[in-house]
Amino acid sequence: MDPMLTFLVILIGMYGLSTSKNIIKSVFSVTIIESGVILLFLNLGNWQGGSIPIINGAADLIADPLPQALMITTIVIGSTVTALALMLCIKVFHHYGTVEWREILRRGEGK
Amino acid sequence: MPDMLEITAYALQVLLIIMALAIVTHKNTGTIIVLIAVFSLVTASLYVINKAPDVAIAEVAIGSAIIPLIYVISISRQREFIVLDKAMDDFIISDDAFTGVGYIFLKRFTDFYHLELNISNDVRLCSVGRGREQKLCEETNVDLIVSKDEETGKYLLKGKQSNILMHKLKQMARDYDTIEVVTFKDRDFGD
Repeated sequence: MDPMLTFLVILIGMYGLSTSKNIIKSVFSVTIIESGVILLFLNLGNWQGGSIPIINGAADLIADPLPQALMITTIVIGSTVTALALMLCIKVFHHYGTVEWREILRRGEGK
Repeated sequence: MPDMLEITAYALQVLLIIMALAIVTHKNTGTIIVLIAVFSLVTASLYVINKAPDVAIAEVAIGSAIIPLIYVISISRQREFIVLDKAMDDFIISDDAFTGVGYIFLKRFTDFYHLELNISNDVRLCSVGRGREQKLCEETNVDLIVSKDEETGKYLLKGKQSNILMHKLKQMARDYDTIEVVTFKDRDFGD
């Protein structure tokens, strides 16, 4: 496992976030960044020769269980953040009639 | 076999990067939702390789089932334009079919913006008095309220003033004598 390849996933998500023209596409990019961050954390806690952190008497070296516990929380919170962002996206659509960033800015100024 | 595991891990990571690029560059939203579900499955198998099976269980349940469900529901609900029909006469529904003048007018409007017209005559919402209509528009997802003015015989279409779509509706209503568009002023919610 190479942390740099994981970091590349985060960079791809940031590229998508900065180039997307559509609000829903931006939310997709946030999901990708979240997966990349979770992978990076798990990768840092997984040192060479470690085993799964289920202690059965004889394990002498285990992967760090603390980032794993934190990352479960991140997954759950990430799903709620996605739901909230999509709800706001529906509200924006009902307000402006479009979900394109540029079009929203144009219509907001021309009011 | 540590070698085999390492090769699998690298293959899955390369697959993950390809999936991420596909999600970012793809145009069709329906395809992206399926790609997101597959992306979550690939990340879940990478978590198992990273010695975290508990996180993988949560990711499979939430990432590849609930998140695509949220996307599908919200994208299908996004284009709904909800109209509350308080008039209850042949303005919208005549002879048990959508052939009224108001329906044709609203249909022309929603087709212009590629919206989906959804006419509701929910008894609980229709019983709301005139004074509380603005509150109803602000608190629920109703976009437009249709009611009849008994004195002038005109049909009133009420919506929020901040809604950009209402300007277009006002322009379109100029051709009809029986339709009048009324907008609620936005109230300041303080800071």
